[in-house]
Amino acid sequence: MRLSVLKYILLMLAQVAVWNYFDFSPYVMIAFLPALILCLPIAWGPVISMLIAFATGFAVDFLVTGQLGMTSLALVPVGLLRRGVVRLVFGSELFARGEELSFYRQGWQKFLLCTVILTAVNLVIQIWVDGAGMYSLGFNVLKFGISLLVSTAISMAIAFLMLEPTGERWK
Amino acid sequence: MPRGQKTSSFLVCAATFILLEVAALALLHASSTLQDIWLTRATHRTMAFLWGSGETVRTQFQLERLNRELQSENARLQERLRAYERGEADREELARMAEREAASYRYTPATVVKMSRNRTRNYIILNKGSEDGIRPQSGIISDRGVVGIVESVDKHFAYGLTLMNPEMSIGARLDSSDVVAPLSWDGRSTGRALVRNLPPHYEVAPGDTVRTSGYSSIFPPGVPIGITGGSRLVDGSTRQVEVMLFQDFAALRYVTVVENLERTKILSLIENTEDAR
Repeated sequence: MRLSVLKYILLMLAQVAVWNYFDFSPYVMIAFLPALILCLPIAWGPVISMLIAFATGFAVDFLVTGQLGMTSLALVPVGLLRRGVVRLVFGSELFARGEELSFYRQGWQKFLLCTVILTAVNLVIQIWVDGAGMYSLGFNVLKFGISLLVSTAISMAIAFLMLEPTGERWK
Repeated sequence: MPRGQKTSSFLVCAATFILLEVAALALLHASSTLQDIWLTRATHRTMAFLWGSGETVRTQFQLERLNRELQSENARLQERLRAYERGEADREELARMAEREAASYRYTPATVVKMSRNRTRNYIILNKGSEDGIRPQSGIISDRGVVGIVESVDKHFAYGLTLMNPEMSIGARLDSSDVVAPLSWDGRSTGRALVRNLPPHYEVAPGDTVRTSGYSSIFPPGVPIGITGGSRLVDGSTRQVEVMLFQDFAALRYVTVVENLERTKILSLIENTEDAR
Protein backbone atom coordinates (compact mmCIF):
# COMPACT_ATOMS: atom_id res chain seq x y z
CA MET A 1 0.00 0.00 0.00
CA ARG A 2 2.76 2.38 0.97
CA LEU A 3 4.56 1.49 -2.23
CA SER A 4 1.43 2.22 -4.19
CA VAL A 5 1.08 5.62 -2.53
CA LEU A 6 4.69 6.40 -3.23
CA LYS A 7 4.32 5.31 -6.84
CA TYR A 8 1.17 7.41 -7.14
CA ILE A 9 2.95 10.51 -5.81
CA LEU A 10 6.00 9.94 -8.00
CA LEU A 11 3.89 9.47 -11.11
CA MET A 12 1.90 12.56 -10.24
CA LEU A 13 5.18 14.47 -10.02
CA ALA A 14 6.10 12.93 -13.34
CA GLN A 15 2.96 14.48 -14.80
CA VAL A 16 4.00 17.80 -13.26
CA ALA A 17 7.41 17.47 -14.85
CA VAL A 18 5.93 16.62 -18.24
CA TRP A 19 3.63 19.63 -18.18
CA ASN A 20 6.35 21.90 -16.86
CA TYR A 21 9.28 20.91 -19.03
CA PHE A 22 8.00 19.06 -22.09
CA ASP A 23 6.00 21.32 -24.29
CA PHE A 24 6.09 19.30 -27.49
CA SER A 25 3.44 20.96 -29.55
CA PRO A 26 0.27 22.99 -29.10
CA TYR A 27 -1.54 20.00 -30.61
CA VAL A 28 -0.44 17.60 -27.90
CA MET A 29 -1.49 17.46 -24.29
CA ILE A 30 -0.07 14.47 -22.47
CA ALA A 31 -2.35 13.47 -19.63
CA PHE A 32 -1.83 10.23 -17.72
CA LEU A 33 -3.48 11.27 -14.47
CA PRO A 34 -6.69 9.42 -15.51
CA ALA A 35 -4.62 6.23 -15.56
CA LEU A 36 -3.53 6.93 -11.98
CA ILE A 37 -7.15 7.39 -10.95
CA LEU A 38 -8.08 4.21 -12.78
CA CYS A 39 -5.45 2.28 -10.83
CA LEU A 40 -6.81 3.25 -7.41
CA PRO A 41 -8.05 0.26 -5.41
CA ILE A 42 -11.31 -1.12 -6.75
CA ALA A 43 -12.88 -1.13 -3.30
CA TRP A 44 -12.69 2.64 -3.12
CA GLY A 45 -16.01 4.13 -4.12
CA PRO A 46 -16.61 7.10 -6.39
CA VAL A 47 -16.68 9.62 -3.53
CA ILE A 48 -13.15 8.72 -2.42
CA SER A 49 -12.01 8.55 -6.03
CA MET A 50 -13.39 11.99 -6.71
CA LEU A 51 -11.80 13.46 -3.60
CA ILE A 52 -8.43 11.99 -4.55
CA ALA A 53 -8.90 13.20 -8.12
CA PHE A 54 -9.70 16.70 -6.87
CA ALA A 55 -6.69 16.74 -4.55
CA THR A 56 -4.41 15.39 -7.28
CA GLY A 57 -5.66 17.98 -9.75
CA PHE A 58 -5.21 20.74 -7.18
CA ALA A 59 -1.63 19.66 -6.41
CA VAL A 60 -0.73 19.40 -10.09
CA ASP A 61 -2.25 22.79 -10.88
CA PHE A 62 -0.42 24.28 -7.94
CA LEU A 63 2.89 22.90 -9.14
CA VAL A 64 2.41 23.50 -12.85
CA THR A 65 0.52 26.54 -14.04
CA GLY A 66 -0.96 28.11 -10.98
CA GLN A 67 -4.35 27.93 -12.70
CA LEU A 68 -5.97 26.20 -9.75
CA GLY A 69 -9.06 24.16 -10.56
CA MET A 70 -8.33 23.37 -14.21
CA THR A 71 -7.05 19.80 -13.73
CA SER A 72 -9.41 19.14 -10.83
CA LEU A 73 -12.34 20.10 -13.02
CA ALA A 74 -11.29 17.54 -15.64
CA LEU A 75 -10.20 14.83 -13.23
CA VAL A 76 -13.19 14.69 -10.87
CA PRO A 77 -15.48 13.24 -13.61
CA VAL A 78 -12.83 10.55 -14.15
CA GLY A 79 -13.11 9.70 -10.47
CA LEU A 80 -16.87 9.59 -10.75
CA LEU A 81 -16.92 7.35 -13.84
CA ARG A 82 -14.04 5.09 -12.87
CA ARG A 83 -16.03 2.28 -11.22
CA GLY A 84 -18.76 2.44 -13.84
CA VAL A 85 -16.27 2.11 -16.67
CA VAL A 86 -14.44 -0.73 -14.90
CA ARG A 87 -17.73 -2.53 -14.34
CA LEU A 88 -18.70 -1.98 -17.98
CA VAL A 89 -15.38 -3.21 -19.39
CA PHE A 90 -14.22 -5.85 -16.89
CA GLY A 91 -17.62 -7.07 -15.66
CA SER A 92 -19.21 -7.29 -12.21
CA GLU A 93 -17.27 -10.44 -11.26
CA LEU A 94 -14.27 -8.31 -10.41
CA PHE A 95 -16.23 -6.55 -7.70
CA ALA A 96 -17.90 -9.77 -6.54
CA ARG A 97 -14.56 -11.47 -6.09
CA GLY A 98 -12.98 -8.41 -4.53
CA GLU A 99 -10.04 -8.54 -6.90
CA GLU A 100 -7.83 -5.67 -7.95
CA LEU A 101 -7.10 -4.70 -11.52
CA SER A 102 -4.31 -6.66 -13.14
CA PHE A 103 -2.71 -6.55 -16.54
CA TYR A 104 -2.04 -10.24 -16.38
CA ARG A 105 -5.52 -11.37 -15.41
CA GLN A 106 -7.70 -8.96 -17.34
CA GLY A 107 -5.49 -8.49 -20.37
CA TRP A 108 -4.15 -5.29 -21.93
CA GLN A 109 -7.02 -4.88 -24.42
CA LYS A 110 -9.56 -4.23 -21.68
CA PHE A 111 -7.14 -1.90 -19.97
CA LEU A 112 -6.70 -0.07 -23.22
CA LEU A 113 -10.43 0.41 -23.59
CA CYS A 114 -10.76 1.61 -20.00
CA THR A 115 -7.87 4.01 -20.38
CA VAL A 116 -9.17 5.39 -23.66
CA ILE A 117 -12.60 6.12 -22.17
CA LEU A 118 -11.31 7.81 -19.03
CA THR A 119 -8.54 9.70 -20.82
CA ALA A 120 -11.04 10.89 -23.42
CA VAL A 121 -13.34 12.24 -20.71
CA ASN A 122 -10.43 14.00 -19.09
CA LEU A 123 -9.05 15.45 -22.32
CA VAL A 124 -12.40 16.68 -23.60
CA ILE A 125 -12.91 18.76 -20.47
CA GLN A 126 -9.33 19.89 -20.13
CA ILE A 127 -8.88 20.97 -23.77
CA TRP A 128 -12.24 22.72 -23.79
CA VAL A 129 -11.62 24.64 -20.56
CA ASP A 130 -7.97 25.35 -21.37
CA GLY A 131 -8.97 26.82 -24.74
CA ALA A 132 -11.49 29.13 -23.05
CA GLY A 133 -13.39 29.50 -26.32
CA MET A 134 -10.33 30.95 -28.10
CA TYR A 135 -9.64 28.10 -30.48
CA SER A 136 -11.70 26.72 -33.31
CA LEU A 137 -13.55 23.44 -33.05
CA GLY A 138 -11.24 21.92 -35.67
CA PHE A 139 -8.15 22.78 -33.67
CA ASN A 140 -9.66 21.36 -30.50
CA VAL A 141 -10.75 18.15 -32.24
CA LEU A 142 -7.29 17.65 -33.76
CA LYS A 143 -5.63 18.36 -30.45
CA PHE A 144 -8.00 15.94 -28.75
CA GLY A 145 -7.29 13.16 -31.26
CA ILE A 146 -3.50 13.47 -31.11
CA SER A 147 -3.49 13.92 -27.32
CA LEU A 148 -5.71 10.87 -26.86
CA LEU A 149 -3.38 8.69 -28.91
CA VAL A 150 -0.23 9.84 -27.15
CA SER A 151 -1.76 9.98 -23.66
CA THR A 152 -3.32 6.52 -23.99
CA ALA A 153 0.01 5.00 -24.99
CA ILE A 154 1.80 6.58 -22.04
CA SER A 155 -1.12 5.82 -19.72
CA MET A 156 -0.83 2.12 -20.55
CA ALA A 157 2.78 2.15 -19.40
CA ILE A 158 1.83 4.16 -16.30
CA ALA A 159 -0.94 1.67 -15.45
CA PHE A 160 1.49 -1.16 -15.88
CA LEU A 161 3.84 0.49 -13.43
CA MET A 162 1.12 1.26 -10.95
CA LEU A 163 -0.52 -2.14 -10.73
CA GLU A 164 1.28 -4.68 -8.64
CA PRO A 165 1.88 -7.93 -10.52
CA THR A 166 -0.15 -9.96 -8.01
CA GLY A 167 -2.26 -11.42 -10.79
CA GLU A 168 0.62 -13.43 -12.11
CA ARG A 169 -0.42 -16.43 -10.08
CA TRP A 170 -3.88 -16.31 -11.68
CA LYS A 171 -2.39 -16.56 -15.13
CA MET B 1 -27.26 -3.50 -1.64
CA PRO B 2 -30.69 -2.38 -0.34
CA ARG B 3 -32.54 0.06 -2.51
CA GLY B 4 -32.58 2.86 0.10
CA GLN B 5 -28.87 2.57 0.64
CA LYS B 6 -28.31 2.61 -3.12
CA THR B 7 -30.32 5.81 -3.45
CA SER B 8 -28.52 7.55 -0.61
CA SER B 9 -25.17 6.40 -2.02
CA PHE B 10 -26.14 7.84 -5.39
CA LEU B 11 -27.20 11.13 -3.80
CA VAL B 12 -23.95 11.41 -1.83
CA CYS B 13 -21.99 10.62 -4.94
CA ALA B 14 -23.87 13.23 -7.01
CA ALA B 15 -23.58 15.85 -4.27
CA THR B 16 -19.83 15.24 -3.94
CA PHE B 17 -19.38 15.48 -7.69
CA ILE B 18 -21.30 18.75 -7.92
CA LEU B 19 -19.52 20.16 -4.90
CA LEU B 20 -16.07 19.31 -6.23
CA GLU B 21 -16.81 20.58 -9.72
CA VAL B 22 -18.20 23.83 -8.35
CA ALA B 23 -15.13 24.15 -6.15
CA ALA B 24 -12.88 23.55 -9.14
CA LEU B 25 -14.78 26.14 -11.18
CA ALA B 26 -14.56 28.64 -8.33
CA LEU B 27 -10.81 28.06 -8.08
CA LEU B 28 -10.43 28.46 -11.82
CA HIS B 29 -12.59 31.56 -11.76
CA ALA B 30 -10.38 33.11 -9.12
CA SER B 31 -6.99 32.05 -10.42
CA SER B 32 -7.05 32.54 -14.19
CA THR B 33 -8.03 35.73 -15.98
CA LEU B 34 -8.65 34.08 -19.33
CA GLN B 35 -10.83 31.36 -17.86
CA ASP B 36 -12.47 33.95 -15.64
CA ILE B 37 -13.54 35.96 -18.69
CA TRP B 38 -14.65 32.83 -20.48
CA LEU B 39 -16.64 31.59 -17.50
CA THR B 40 -18.21 35.03 -16.97
CA ARG B 41 -19.18 35.17 -20.63
CA ALA B 42 -20.59 31.66 -20.49
CA THR B 43 -22.51 32.55 -17.34
CA HIS B 44 -23.95 35.66 -18.96
CA ARG B 45 -24.91 33.69 -22.04
CA THR B 46 -26.60 31.05 -19.92
CA MET B 47 -28.41 33.64 -17.86
CA ALA B 48 -29.55 35.45 -20.99
CA PHE B 49 -30.82 32.18 -22.40
CA LEU B 50 -32.68 31.35 -19.19
CA TRP B 51 -34.17 34.83 -18.88
CA GLY B 52 -35.08 34.82 -22.57
CA SER B 53 -36.75 31.44 -22.22
CA GLY B 54 -38.59 32.58 -19.12
CA GLU B 55 -39.73 35.70 -20.89
CA THR B 56 -40.90 33.65 -23.88
CA VAL B 57 -42.91 31.35 -21.62
CA ARG B 58 -44.37 34.32 -19.73
CA THR B 59 -45.28 36.02 -23.02
CA GLN B 60 -46.97 32.84 -24.23
CA PHE B 61 -49.24 32.93 -21.21
CA GLN B 62 -49.95 36.61 -21.73
CA LEU B 63 -50.76 36.31 -25.41
CA GLU B 64 -54.52 36.48 -24.91
CA ARG B 65 -54.29 39.68 -22.86
CA LEU B 66 -51.76 41.16 -25.30
CA ASN B 67 -54.10 40.32 -28.16
CA ARG B 68 -56.97 42.12 -26.46
CA GLU B 69 -54.77 45.13 -25.79
CA LEU B 70 -53.57 45.16 -29.38
CA GLN B 71 -57.13 44.95 -30.66
CA SER B 72 -58.24 47.89 -28.54
CA GLU B 73 -55.11 49.80 -29.50
CA ASN B 74 -55.84 49.03 -33.14
CA ALA B 75 -59.42 50.25 -32.77
CA ARG B 76 -58.19 53.47 -31.13
CA LEU B 77 -55.65 54.04 -33.88
CA GLN B 78 -58.22 53.38 -36.60
CA GLU B 79 -60.57 55.87 -34.98
CA ARG B 80 -57.78 58.45 -34.87
CA LEU B 81 -56.91 57.69 -38.49
CA ARG B 82 -60.54 58.21 -39.54
CA ALA B 83 -60.66 61.48 -37.58
CA TYR B 84 -57.41 62.54 -39.23
CA GLU B 85 -58.77 61.64 -42.66
CA ARG B 86 -61.97 63.55 -41.92
CA GLY B 87 -59.87 66.52 -40.76
CA GLU B 88 -57.74 66.24 -43.87
CA ALA B 89 -60.87 66.25 -46.06
CA ASP B 90 -62.19 69.28 -44.16
CA ARG B 91 -58.88 71.07 -44.59
CA GLU B 92 -58.85 70.27 -48.30
CA GLU B 93 -62.40 71.59 -48.61
CA LEU B 94 -61.45 74.77 -46.73
CA ALA B 95 -58.37 75.18 -48.90
CA ARG B 96 -60.54 74.78 -52.02
CA MET B 97 -63.00 77.34 -50.66
CA ALA B 98 -60.19 79.79 -49.84
CA GLU B 99 -58.73 79.27 -53.29
CA ARG B 100 -62.13 79.83 -54.91
CA GLU B 101 -62.65 82.92 -52.80
CA ALA B 102 -59.19 84.26 -53.64
CA ALA B 103 -59.89 83.59 -57.31
CA SER B 104 -63.06 85.65 -57.18
CA TYR B 105 -61.19 88.81 -56.21
CA ARG B 106 -58.55 90.74 -58.11
CA TYR B 107 -56.07 92.85 -56.19
CA THR B 108 -54.37 95.85 -57.74
CA PRO B 109 -51.83 97.89 -55.81
CA ALA B 110 -52.14 101.65 -56.08
CA THR B 111 -50.68 104.81 -54.59
CA VAL B 112 -52.74 107.56 -53.01
CA VAL B 113 -52.46 110.71 -55.14
CA LYS B 114 -54.77 112.90 -53.12
CA MET B 115 -57.03 112.47 -50.14
CA SER B 116 -59.23 114.66 -47.95
CA ARG B 117 -59.74 114.12 -44.25
CA ASN B 118 -61.42 117.24 -42.93
CA ARG B 119 -64.64 117.33 -44.90
CA THR B 120 -68.04 115.82 -44.29
CA ARG B 121 -67.61 113.73 -47.42
CA ASN B 122 -63.99 112.72 -47.75
CA TYR B 123 -62.53 111.36 -50.95
CA ILE B 124 -59.41 109.62 -52.16
CA ILE B 125 -57.74 109.66 -55.56
CA LEU B 126 -55.53 106.77 -56.67
CA ASN B 127 -52.95 106.58 -59.47
CA LYS B 128 -54.59 103.62 -61.19
CA GLY B 129 -57.52 103.84 -63.61
CA SER B 130 -59.59 101.84 -66.03
CA GLU B 131 -56.53 100.99 -68.11
CA ASP B 132 -55.15 99.29 -65.04
CA GLY B 133 -58.31 97.26 -64.64
CA ILE B 134 -59.86 99.37 -61.89
CA ARG B 135 -63.67 99.33 -61.92
CA PRO B 136 -66.17 101.42 -59.96
CA GLN B 137 -67.59 99.78 -56.84
CA SER B 138 -64.28 98.15 -56.01
CA GLY B 139 -63.02 98.14 -52.45
CA ILE B 140 -59.94 100.04 -51.30
CA ILE B 141 -58.00 98.42 -48.51
CA SER B 142 -54.56 98.70 -46.99
CA ASP B 143 -52.45 96.50 -44.78
CA ARG B 144 -54.18 98.19 -41.78
CA GLY B 145 -57.74 97.56 -42.94
CA VAL B 146 -60.62 99.08 -44.93
CA VAL B 147 -60.02 102.47 -46.58
CA GLY B 148 -63.00 103.13 -48.88
CA ILE B 149 -64.77 102.33 -52.12
CA VAL B 150 -63.94 103.34 -55.71
CA GLU B 151 -66.68 105.62 -56.95
CA SER B 152 -65.57 106.41 -60.49
CA VAL B 153 -62.56 105.91 -62.74
CA ASP B 154 -60.90 107.51 -65.70
CA LYS B 155 -58.09 106.01 -67.75
CA HIS B 156 -55.32 106.64 -65.26
CA PHE B 157 -56.94 107.59 -61.99
CA ALA B 158 -59.62 106.37 -59.72
CA TYR B 159 -61.81 108.44 -57.46
CA GLY B 160 -63.12 106.89 -54.29
CA LEU B 161 -64.93 107.68 -51.11
CA THR B 162 -63.15 106.89 -47.87
CA LEU B 163 -64.75 105.34 -44.84
CA MET B 164 -64.99 108.89 -43.51
CA ASN B 165 -68.29 109.48 -45.32
CA PRO B 166 -71.60 109.41 -43.49
CA GLU B 167 -73.33 107.78 -46.48
CA MET B 168 -70.89 104.92 -46.68
CA SER B 169 -71.87 101.79 -44.85
CA ILE B 170 -70.09 98.45 -44.94
CA GLY B 171 -71.06 95.11 -43.50
CA ALA B 172 -69.06 94.38 -40.35
CA ARG B 173 -68.75 91.24 -38.27
CA LEU B 174 -67.77 91.07 -34.62
CA ASP B 175 -65.20 88.35 -33.99
CA SER B 176 -66.50 87.10 -30.64
CA SER B 177 -70.19 86.83 -31.47
CA ASP B 178 -70.10 86.59 -35.31
CA VAL B 179 -72.99 89.02 -35.41
CA VAL B 180 -73.17 91.14 -38.58
CA ALA B 181 -74.25 94.76 -38.64
CA PRO B 182 -73.63 97.91 -40.75
CA LEU B 183 -70.63 100.04 -39.88
CA SER B 184 -70.31 103.71 -40.78
CA TRP B 185 -68.27 106.76 -39.81
CA ASP B 186 -69.35 108.60 -36.71
CA GLY B 187 -68.97 111.91 -38.61
CA ARG B 188 -66.72 113.55 -36.09
CA SER B 189 -63.29 112.01 -35.55
CA THR B 190 -60.87 110.55 -38.14
CA GLY B 191 -60.25 107.31 -36.29
CA ARG B 192 -63.68 106.26 -35.13
CA ALA B 193 -66.77 104.56 -36.60
CA LEU B 194 -69.99 103.09 -35.29
CA VAL B 195 -71.57 99.68 -35.67
CA ARG B 196 -75.30 100.36 -35.63
CA ASN B 197 -78.50 98.38 -35.39
CA LEU B 198 -77.13 95.54 -33.34
CA PRO B 199 -79.81 93.55 -31.57
CA PRO B 200 -79.96 94.88 -27.99
CA HIS B 201 -79.38 91.52 -26.33
CA TYR B 202 -75.81 91.29 -27.69
CA GLU B 203 -73.32 92.26 -25.08
CA VAL B 204 -70.20 93.55 -26.83
CA ALA B 205 -67.03 93.61 -24.78
CA PRO B 206 -64.48 96.34 -25.53
CA GLY B 207 -61.44 95.10 -27.47
CA ASP B 208 -63.32 92.77 -29.79
CA THR B 209 -62.01 92.81 -33.40
CA VAL B 210 -64.32 94.02 -36.14
CA ARG B 211 -63.85 92.71 -39.69
CA THR B 212 -65.67 92.92 -43.00
CA SER B 213 -68.53 90.46 -43.24
CA GLY B 214 -68.15 89.61 -46.92
CA TYR B 215 -71.87 90.23 -47.51
CA SER B 216 -71.37 93.46 -49.42
CA SER B 217 -69.97 92.00 -52.67
CA ILE B 218 -67.32 94.74 -52.56
CA PHE B 219 -64.94 93.68 -49.80
CA PRO B 220 -63.73 90.15 -49.22
CA PRO B 221 -64.62 88.74 -45.83
CA GLY B 222 -62.26 89.04 -42.89
CA VAL B 223 -60.54 92.34 -43.73
CA PRO B 224 -59.82 94.00 -40.37
CA ILE B 225 -61.54 97.32 -39.63
CA GLY B 226 -60.91 98.11 -35.96
CA ILE B 227 -61.60 97.12 -32.39
CA THR B 228 -64.69 97.74 -30.35
CA GLY B 229 -64.91 100.38 -27.63
CA GLY B 230 -67.96 101.20 -25.58
CA SER B 231 -71.52 100.31 -26.57
CA ARG B 232 -74.92 101.75 -25.73
CA LEU B 233 -78.59 101.15 -26.38
CA VAL B 234 -80.24 103.52 -28.84
CA ASP B 235 -83.93 104.16 -28.25
CA GLY B 236 -84.02 101.01 -26.22
CA SER B 237 -84.32 98.92 -29.36
CA THR B 238 -80.88 98.70 -30.93
CA ARG B 239 -77.34 98.65 -29.69
CA GLN B 240 -74.65 100.90 -31.06
CA VAL B 241 -70.97 100.05 -30.67
CA GLU B 242 -68.08 102.41 -31.00
CA VAL B 243 -65.19 101.15 -33.18
CA MET B 244 -61.62 102.46 -33.13
CA LEU B 245 -60.38 102.10 -36.70
CA PHE B 246 -57.07 100.38 -37.40
CA GLN B 247 -56.52 102.59 -40.38
CA ASP B 248 -54.73 105.87 -39.71
CA PHE B 249 -55.92 108.03 -42.62
CA ALA B 250 -53.27 110.65 -41.92
CA ALA B 251 -50.49 108.17 -42.72
CA LEU B 252 -52.06 106.46 -45.72
CA ARG B 253 -49.83 106.21 -48.82
CA TYR B 254 -50.19 102.82 -50.46
CA VAL B 255 -53.44 100.93 -50.90
CA THR B 256 -54.80 97.91 -52.71
CA VAL B 257 -57.88 98.03 -54.88
CA VAL B 258 -59.86 94.87 -54.58
CA GLU B 259 -62.45 93.97 -57.18
CA ASN B 260 -65.01 91.25 -56.76
CA LEU B 261 -64.98 89.49 -60.13
CA GLU B 262 -68.29 87.84 -59.44
CA ARG B 263 -70.04 91.02 -58.38
CA THR B 264 -71.82 91.38 -61.72
CA LYS B 265 -73.13 87.83 -61.53
CA ILE B 266 -74.34 88.33 -57.98
CA LEU B 267 -76.09 91.59 -58.79
CA SER B 268 -77.61 90.06 -61.91
CA LEU B 269 -78.92 87.16 -59.90
CA ILE B 270 -80.45 89.49 -57.32
CA GLU B 271 -81.99 91.65 -60.04
CA ASN B 272 -83.46 88.70 -61.93
CA THR B 273 -84.90 87.21 -58.79
CA GLU B 274 -86.50 90.48 -57.75
CA ASP B 275 -87.92 91.00 -61.26
CA ALA B 276 -89.44 87.55 -61.19
CA ARG B 277 -91.32 88.44 -58.03
